[in-house]
Amino acid sequence: MDQTKNNIRALVRLFEQSDWDELRVETKDLKLVISKNANAPGLTVLENAPRTRLPSTADAEITDATEPAAKSEPAEIPEGLVAVRAPNLGTFWRAPKPGAAPYIEVGQKVNADTMVCLIEVMKLFTPINAGIAGTVVELVAENSAMVEYGDTLVLIDPST
Amino acid sequence: MNLSRVFVANRGEIAVRVLRACRKLELSSVIGVSEADQESTGAMMADRAIVIGPAPSKDSYLKPDLIVSAAVNSGCDALHPGYGFLSERGELAEMCAENGIAFVGPTADTIRKVGDKISARELARAAGVPLVPGSGEVSTVEQAKSAASDVGYPIVLKATAGGGGRGMAVARADEDIARTFDAASLEAEEAFGDGTLYVERFVENARHVEVQILGDGKGNVLHFGDRDCSAQRRYQKVVEEAPATAVPDDIRTNMREAAVRLAKSINYRNAGTVEFLYDQNHNAFYFIEVNARIQVEHPVTEEITGVDLVVAQLKIAAGEPLGLTQDMIALSGHAIECRINAEMPLRDFAPSPGRITAWLPPEGDGVRVDSHCEQGYTVPPYYDSMIGKLIVHGATRTEAISRMRGALADFRIDGIHTNTHLQAFLVGHRDFKDNKINTKWLETTLLPAYSSVMGD
Repeated sequence: MDQTKNNIRALVRLFEQSDWDELRVETKDLKLVISKNANAPGLTVLENAPRTRLPSTADAEITDATEPAAKSEPAEIPEGLVAVRAPNLGTFWRAPKPGAAPYIEVGQKVNADTMVCLIEVMKLFTPINAGIAGTVVELVAENSAMVEYGDTLVLIDPST
Repeated sequence: MNLSRVFVANRGEIAVRVLRACRKLELSSVIGVSEADQESTGAMMADRAIVIGPAPSKDSYLKPDLIVSAAVNSGCDALHPGYGFLSERGELAEMCAENGIAFVGPTADTIRKVGDKISARELARAAGVPLVPGSGEVSTVEQAKSAASDVGYPIVLKATAGGGGRGMAVARADEDIARTFDAASLEAEEAFGDGTLYVERFVENARHVEVQILGDGKGNVLHFGDRDCSAQRRYQKVVEEAPATAVPDDIRTNMREAAVRLAKSINYRNAGTVEFLYDQNHNAFYFIEVNARIQVEHPVTEEITGVDLVVAQLKIAAGEPLGLTQDMIALSGHAIECRINAEMPLRDFAPSPGRITAWLPPEGDGVRVDSHCEQGYTVPPYYDSMIGKLIVHGATRTEAISRMRGALADFRIDGIHTNTHLQAFLVGHRDFKDNKINTKWLETTLLPAYSSVMGD
């Protein structure tokens, strides 16, 4: 039954990340309905077979377990500023190639889809967009340096 | 040493184990962790910890490009993959090689050859390693009966097109074949689009026995004796011991020689395990597979040989001589390992992640705990439920069992549910003490007995 539990967890995660409104799964001993609409029909029926019910102690502990991850969120972003973070580990590049003009400079106005840098993983370059409109306040990451997952790359002031 | 900085591409107890070996060899270390493991023991122990991705393994520990990128960027010249995750992916070994990083494992080519079931069986056959006796294709009931009498009942009818040979029907006598042949063929046709069948001996009373080897990639292969891992649940090992004393000595000798022959035939580099089934009814052994990595249960072999297998792995990766010959490897006493899992055995082994409020591992002569846990540590819900391994060593098997029972009783873990009570019940069971179990015993005998004792 540990498999069932993992599967449900995976489904919920998939659902959360999707743009679906509703997910229904039905197997021999499980019926699962997840919906973003609280009035969805059948929503109260979570599980048919009592054996598949997840033990409540484990549920409580899982909630507990997510705590440190939340705590470790990089903090210290100055009030009012928004961080552009590294979506994965890689090398931070400010310009398309050495010597070329950087994508952005401090003081520059950007839109959500303005490209701010490249992140390279094994010679594969991923463009990173600002994600928000505003003014570039600081280039936090250093050109050609390795950035880790979640590191702040650029600070943007969305109010200006 | 030829290496200076090792990247640890794993988590949990094996990350800690590898980091200890690095310290022993005075190598600096970098660990690649997921966001959830930033404050783990491994992250604290390593000289540097790099967050490679978010908590889910598929976005972090299973990403070879992120891992090799982190290793290159942090100036590592070797990479240890541990077990699980990417340890047996040719891709990781290949990317390391391309980037000038010594992969602490076999070559990508070896990983692929032994990782594919069919090609592994071919390698075994070529090296004269016994496989489960079987027939060629059988297309009629009469052919199947004749093949079955050659192989010896009970047999299992399998689909030639089935991946790994999915079993279709077990037959204990000629009548069973007459009765099941057509249905089995039809089922194979439906499942694989090909109704061709073959006959294989059905091994119903087996022990899982494996041989630990070390190869230097230059043609030298040593064995470190055998292990018995017959206590399994859903093909997951639960208790492992060394040596495999339930198996007759002549069989064990043949098994070890077969393992070395197989490894030599592919010029094997790294620590590895050749796994066998020991058929207790026919007093014969058959090849299962090669595990081209360090295994969870390696400590029982370390305990009886006194050899640090992870240090040996690093030396081999550095191209250093092992400084060992077969006659220097002496087996002494008996060792047992119990895997400690965060789970609820009485609730169908549901995982039990959460905060460990008390962690008091047993101590004393012949007691070893390999773990990344400590008081206050939160077992994350994203990964395997194994939180540690309890290993004991004694002069005899009886002494080791008694030591294990004491150590399990002393092991205090609060805040989460674990399987220590079940493990104590297991090693205290008469069948285990008498060494009369097989690979089905835990599921068919022990768990029902445990449930009834626990009033479930």
